[in-house]
Amino acid sequence: MTLKSGTTSACAACKYQRRKCIPECLLAPYFPADQTKVFQNAHKLFGVSNIVKILKSLDPSQHAEAMRSIKYQANVRDKFPVYGCLGVIRQLYYQIQLLEEEFHSVLSQLEMYRQYHHEVPSQLELGMAPPTNGLHFLTAVPDMPVSMQHSYSNSNNIGYCSSYVDSKDHNNNNNNSNSNSNNNNNNNNSLWIQHPFLATNNSSSSNSNENNPLMAIQSQLLVSNTQPLVIQHEVVQDYDELHPFFDTIDDRQSFIHSKEPYDSSCEDSAKETTQAIELVPNNELKNAAACFSLTSVH
Amino acid sequence: MASSSHSSNFPCAACKFLRRKCMPDCVFAPYFPPEEPQKFINVHKIFGASNVSKLINEVAPHQREDAVNSLAYEAEARLKDPVYGCVGAISILQRQVLRLQRELDAIHADLIRYATATCNCNEMPPPLGRTCFHHNSSGNIYYPNPRWNEPYGGNGRSDGGSL
Repeated sequence: MTLKSGTTSACAACKYQRRKCIPECLLAPYFPADQTKVFQNAHKLFGVSNIVKILKSLDPSQHAEAMRSIKYQANVRDKFPVYGCLGVIRQLYYQIQLLEEEFHSVLSQLEMYRQYHHEVPSQLELGMAPPTNGLHFLTAVPDMPVSMQHSYSNSNNIGYCSSYVDSKDHNNNNNNSNSNSNNNNNNNNSLWIQHPFLATNNSSSSNSNENNPLMAIQSQLLVSNTQPLVIQHEVVQDYDELHPFFDTIDDRQSFIHSKEPYDSSCEDSAKETTQAIELVPNNELKNAAACFSLTSVH
Repeated sequence: MASSSHSSNFPCAACKFLRRKCMPDCVFAPYFPPEEPQKFINVHKIFGASNVSKLINEVAPHQREDAVNSLAYEAEARLKDPVYGCVGAISILQRQVLRLQRELDAIHADLIRYATATCNCNEMPPPLGRTCFHHNSSGNIYYPNPRWNEPYGGNGRSDGGSL
């Protein structure tokens, strides 16, 4: 093992290449001797020469950030040899979609409560009895979330509109909020089908890369983000941190061209949500009946 | 885009770029058709042909096309953004996820507040709880580890965050 002059050992890069690690070694600050696996991942994906080429094309102040992203990308590729970071992006898109679905669902519930909250005081002022309306509202609650779940995106929910939805809709050339299924299709199309490299029947030429919606999404995301994008220093030094998230994911599934697992997951989550909602009415009706019986005595 | 049939008269994009004879058993030919020269150029520029060849051979045959396409995407992203590459998109999406979660928490709080006020008035039952798909027993839905999903800081701070 060749050691640098002094007490410091060679960096992981030079140690792997069995060469003397000079003080001016470009990779030494980023591949310490105790991170051999990280270097091996980066070397396996990019190669030392390509990494050095990337670094030399950048300003020295950007080297740290670039190396963090390179190491992260290599570690993800090591863990997921088939899809790499693209799989992570897909999972995040899916996660965002689920969150937005829940967001709209809860928003619709909130609107109903707000409406009820405004109706009751006015009825009390007129001397009208609220319980019947409350009972009607109670019976309506179990149904509406289910239907609203499918049509929530048609409502004009101001105030809680996600700007990401707007940008995403803009990227998908979808100016108005369509149905949930359309959103799913658009998301799938923008991510996986319209990309010329990922489509099976897309015969677009290389010139269409600039018009690629997937890259457009990334560019849009990068451009629309007004905050400076700074990768924090604590990148995946120990890429085992990825395990809690990715243990549940099977990279070996070919899900890009097969939408069935994706759709079935959506359907399963929707079914669970629906079941959770459908279980409520019985309890609500019982409570409502109890209230009604109590008030009717007097 | 995999080419099911390969003719030696039409070298694949890789062999055309590398200026070599495209053999019938060329590892690149099914995934780098001659109609998409830029795809291989990008991949070669970032990862190198030998690395790509090794990565292709390590993956099962039915997954090679997906692997190549993901490499092509990452290469293109790295060329567009040499500093962050596709990791920049991951960071942005993670921040979106966190923002949506915060908004969801806020709207849940509002919902509970309204429902509580309504319950106090008319003895209504509490609102429908938050859907439990985040805690799906099958584990398919991931509630992100805050440390792993800590967004890229925009305030110039250099501490914290796992990404």
